[in-house]
Amino acid sequence: MVEIDPTDHEIAELGPKVNGIDDADELREMLDLEAAGEDRAPVKTLIESRLEKLEADDEEVDPETVDLTELSIADVANMVRGVDDGDVLRDLLEREKAGENRTGAITQIENRIESVEGTDEGDGEAVEYVPPEEKHPDLDHPTADKQYVEGVSGETYRDMWVYCETQQGELIEVSKEMLGRAREMMDEYNSEDGYGGDEEGNPEDVVAVLIGDGVDELAEEAIAYGADRVVYHNDPRLERFRHKPYTELYVHMCRDFEAEWRDYHEPRYNVFPATNNGRDLSALVQGELDSGLASDCSDLYIDDAMISNPAKTGKPGDSVEFERVLHMPRPDFSGFEYSTILCIDKPHRDFHPQGASVIPGAFEAPDPDPEREGEVVEHDIDLPDEWFQVEIVDHDTLSGGVDLTGREVIVALGRGIGEDPTRGIELGVELVDAFDDADLGLSRGVITASYVFDGHVEDYVTEERQIGESGQAVEPDVYIAAGISGAVQHKVGMDDSEVIIAINEDPDADIRDFSDYYIEGNLFEVLPRLTEAVEQGGSIEAVTGASDD
Amino acid sequence: MTDEYEHYEAIVVGAGPGGAAAAAALARQGVETLVLERGVDAGSKNVSGGLIYAEESAPYTIDDLFPAFREEAAERPIDEYLIHNIAGDKVKTFDLDRIHHHDTDWCDAVLRRRMDSWLAERVHELTRETGGGLLTEVRVNGLLREDGEIVGVTCDELDPIKADLIVAADGVNSELARDAGLMNWDEPEDWFQGVKAVVEMEPEVIDERFGLDGEPGAAHLFSGDLFETVRGGGFLYTNTDSLSIGTVFHLDSLAAERAEPHELLNALLTHPLLDQWLQGEYEEREYAAKLVPDSKKVAHPSPHQGRLLLVGDAGGQMQAQGPIIKGMNHAVTAGGLAAEAYADAKTRGDPAKAGELYERKLNSEGVMDQLRPSRYRATRAISESGVVTGVGSTLLNSPVGSAGLKALGGVAERAFNSPFLLGMVPDSRMSYVEIPIRIAEVLGEPIEGEGGTIEPPKLADRIGDLTYDVGDPHIELIDDSYAASGTAVTACPVSAEGFGGGCYRDERVKTNGEEKHLVSLDTQPCIECGTCAVVADTHWEHPSGGKGVEYKRG
Repeated sequence: MVEIDPTDHEIAELGPKVNGIDDADELREMLDLEAAGEDRAPVKTLIESRLEKLEADDEEVDPETVDLTELSIADVANMVRGVDDGDVLRDLLEREKAGENRTGAITQIENRIESVEGTDEGDGEAVEYVPPEEKHPDLDHPTADKQYVEGVSGETYRDMWVYCETQQGELIEVSKEMLGRAREMMDEYNSEDGYGGDEEGNPEDVVAVLIGDGVDELAEEAIAYGADRVVYHNDPRLERFRHKPYTELYVHMCRDFEAEWRDYHEPRYNVFPATNNGRDLSALVQGELDSGLASDCSDLYIDDAMISNPAKTGKPGDSVEFERVLHMPRPDFSGFEYSTILCIDKPHRDFHPQGASVIPGAFEAPDPDPEREGEVVEHDIDLPDEWFQVEIVDHDTLSGGVDLTGREVIVALGRGIGEDPTRGIELGVELVDAFDDADLGLSRGVITASYVFDGHVEDYVTEERQIGESGQAVEPDVYIAAGISGAVQHKVGMDDSEVIIAINEDPDADIRDFSDYYIEGNLFEVLPRLTEAVEQGGSIEAVTGASDD
Repeated sequence: MTDEYEHYEAIVVGAGPGGAAAAAALARQGVETLVLERGVDAGSKNVSGGLIYAEESAPYTIDDLFPAFREEAAERPIDEYLIHNIAGDKVKTFDLDRIHHHDTDWCDAVLRRRMDSWLAERVHELTRETGGGLLTEVRVNGLLREDGEIVGVTCDELDPIKADLIVAADGVNSELARDAGLMNWDEPEDWFQGVKAVVEMEPEVIDERFGLDGEPGAAHLFSGDLFETVRGGGFLYTNTDSLSIGTVFHLDSLAAERAEPHELLNALLTHPLLDQWLQGEYEEREYAAKLVPDSKKVAHPSPHQGRLLLVGDAGGQMQAQGPIIKGMNHAVTAGGLAAEAYADAKTRGDPAKAGELYERKLNSEGVMDQLRPSRYRATRAISESGVVTGVGSTLLNSPVGSAGLKALGGVAERAFNSPFLLGMVPDSRMSYVEIPIRIAEVLGEPIEGEGGTIEPPKLADRIGDLTYDVGDPHIELIDDSYAASGTAVTACPVSAEGFGGGCYRDERVKTNGEEKHLVSLDTQPCIECGTCAVVADTHWEHPSGGKGVEYKRG
C-alpha cells in the first residue's frame, strides 16, 4: 500500500510530499489511485513529473562503461562536459570511432579533451613576439622609464600580501576581514587539496604590510588575525596617508626589499582595502609594479583557469590551464552583474602581483587568535625628502558616525527646545542615560536652526543624529518625541517604532495622530520627570506605564 | 584649451513654452540646437496659473509651432471668463467675455508638467534632426565668456558648451539673465507672487457644478476684501479632472503686510463664494508657487547681450494687467522671434546681430507694447502716488462716489473689459482692493452659501506631499538677522511665522546674555520660487539638475 493516498489530500499539500518520495513504484501506484479516484489533472502532472525526474536520475551514465550507440550526439555532449579525465575521454573517443563513428560525437569528445588538456599541435602558428620598442617605435612609452614592463617572464612569485590600513593607531575593520580571508585562501592553497604550497612544495605565507607611525604596535594583532609575517615601516612623517611615500614604500617592499626570509621577485598576490586610501594606494602600487588591479572586489578565491585567449596562451587555438589564479569577482553596473577578473601572465610579460582591492564588509573578520605566532620584520630605508613634497596643512576628524538603528530607545528632540536649546539637549541626554540602550535623535528643524549651543552639548547637534526622510530611519521599541510636531518628513523616519510617546505643548500637533501615548506639556518640565520615573522604575515599562494614565 | 569645448550652433536653456518655441523654430530653420533642462522632466519645475492664449495678432502661437498641441497637451478650452468683486458676504460678478476674447484665437487651461513634457518630446524629435537634442537634469549655472564676450554656457553636470546663439528661457529666476546683468531681484514691487492648488474633481462633477457641457470650461477671477488689504486677486480655472485655484499678489504688498501666502490662498478656498463649486469636498493634489515678473516694470526693453537672448519670464515678459494675465503666449512669440532673428542675422551674414533684430521684432510685432504699455508709464507717477489714492478712496466712500458707481455699474464692467484702460491700471490698493470692494458693496448681491466650507490642508502637509532632494543647500542666507531677512519667514510660500518645518524660521537666540532675533534657513522644503531672493538677503541659485522640487501637475 502506498503511504500517501493522493485522493485524501489537497493539491497544495501534495507538492512537498510527492517530491519527497524516491520510490518510482510507489509513485506509479499513487498515479493509479488518483486516476481511479478524483482524477485531478494537476495532481497527475505533479506525480508524473516526479516520476520523470527519478527515472532521469537512474539514467545517469558512467562514461567508462556506457554504450555509446545508445546515446544521441547531444547526450554525448552533455556527458563529456562532466568528464575531466583525459584517459577516460580518449577511451570514449576510441569506442565511438570503433562503433558508430559519428563526426559530431567525435568533435564533442575531441573538444573536451582539448579543453581539459590543451593541445600540443594547435591549429595556429605561435604568435610572433615583437618587443614593444620595435612594435611601436614612435612611442617612448611603454619602455622608456619602465624597466619592468616586459621580459620578467619566468620570475618567482610567492605569498599573499595584505595592505593593512590603519586609522588613528588602529587596524580598520576591513584590514582584519582581508587578513581572515587571506588566511583561509592560503591555508587551502598550502593544503594537499590545494597546491600543497609553492611550485617546490613549500608553504606560502600571508604577509601583512603596515605603513605609518608606530604601526609596529599593531603587528601582533595582524598576526592574530591571520598573518604569518608582518612587514612594517615606521616614520613620524607617515602618520597620515600620503600617495607618494606610501606607494614608494609599498613598491620597495614588494620588489627591492632584501630580507632573509624572501628570495622572490615580487609577491604573488596583493590585496588592498577598497577604502578611499586603499583605492588610491592599490592603483598606484599595481601601476608602478606594471601589473593589473581588480578594484572593489566582493569575493576572492584561488583556482585554476582554462584560458584559450592567444594573447595569454601564445598560440591561437590553444587552451592552457593556468594554475594558482586569483579569481576576483566584482559587481558591475551597480551590482546588476558580476564579473570575475583574472590577472594572467602573457608569454613575454608577467602580470604579477595579481592585485585586488576588497569592498569593506565583503568578508567576515575572524576571531583573533592571540596564540598565533608569526614573524615581525622592520622595513627600514631612508625616505627621501622629495617624497614629502605634498604637505598636510590641515586635517579634520569626522566623528565616528552615529548609528541610531538597533537601539531599544530613541529620545528625539525637535524645535520645542528652541526657548533654551542647550538645556533641551541636556534634558534629552539625561533621559538617554537613564536607559540601558538608548541614543539621542534630532529633527531636521533642530539641526538647520540658528540655535547656539554651549560647548558641552554642541557635539550632539550633527546631521548624523537626524531622523527622517533625509536622515536615519529608526524603529526602536520606544521612540520618545519631545517637541517634535511630526511633519511627514520626520514621520517616515520613525513611524515603524514599536511604541511612540509624544511630548508636545500643542495638542493639535500632527505627531499626536501617530503616537501611542501623548503627553501634553512643555518638554522642559516633562523630560526631567520622565527621567526620574525611568531611573526609579529602571525599565521601559516604567515609562509606558507612567505615561499610560 | 577652450577650443576643446563642445560647440552647438544654438543652445536653448530651459524647456518651457518659450524655450520649446525657440528650439522648434530654430530646428525648423535647420539650426543645430541643443536644449538643456534642469528638471527631471520638462515641466517638473514649472508652474503657471493655467491659461495659455493664442492671440490672433501674434506672429507665433503654440499650435502653429506644435500642431497637435491643443488635443495632446492642453486640458480644455476656456470660454467663460468672469470676475467676482467681493465685499464681506456680498459679491458682484462682471462678465469679462469681451476682454477674454479680445484678439483671442483660442485660450486653453493647461497643467504644466503634462504640457511641457509633451512639448519637450516634440522638441527633442525636431532638434535631433539638426544634430542636437534635448537633455534633462542639466543645470546651466552661468555664462561662458572669452575676452569678456559671451560665448557659451557653463553647467553643473557638463563641461562648458559654446554656441553662436544662447537663448535664455530659464524662467523667472533666470541665472543667465542675472549673470549678464540684464535682470535682478532687487525690488519687491517688480514682482508678483502666485500660489496655486490643483484640486481633484471628477469631470462630471466639474461640468455639473460649473454648469458646463463637456469641452469648454470656465475661468473665474476674484478680487475685493477676501485678502484683507493685500493687493492681488484670485483665480479658478477648470481642467479636465481638476481645478486650478490660486492667488496672485504684488510681492511688495505681500512683504509689507507680512501676509502668509498659504493663508491668503486658504482665504480664497474657504470663502463662501467657492462653496457652490467645492461643496465641502476638497482633495488637494499639489501646492505650488512661483514669482511672476510684472512686465510693466521689468520687461527688459532690450533683452539681449552679445549672443544671449532672453525669452519669456527670463526677460520679464509676463503681462499681468488687472484681469489680463498672459505670459506663456508672449514667451512663445518671443521664442519664435528669437529664432527668426537669428536666422535673419545669419542670412545677412552677421549672426551677432541676432539680439538687435530680436529687439526690433519684439517692438514691430507689438509684443513690447503689450508688455510695457506706454499709457501705464505715462500715468503711473500720478495714479500710484499716495495723494491720488487718498482722494480716490475718499471719493469712493462718499455717497456721491457710490451713487456714481451705481449709475455707472455698466460702465465699470465695460472699463474692466477694455484692454486700453487696463493697461493704465495703477498698482495701488485702490484699484485692487477698494474699487472691487465698493463695487461689491454697492452693486453686489449676498452670497448664497451652498454646502459646507472646506478645510484646506496644513502647510506641513502641503510640503510633505511634495518630494525634495535638494542635495547641497542652493540658497545661502547672507544676513541671518531678522531685520534683514525676516520678511522671508512670512513671504516664503512654504514658511510661516511659528512654523518650524518651512524654509525660513523665526528664531530668538540667547548668547552671552544677549538675545538676537534671527532667521534660520533649511532649503529642503524649497520650491524654488525665488521670493526670498527678493525679500531677504541671500545668495540664490537653483539646485543642480534633477534635484529640488518636482511638480507632478504644475
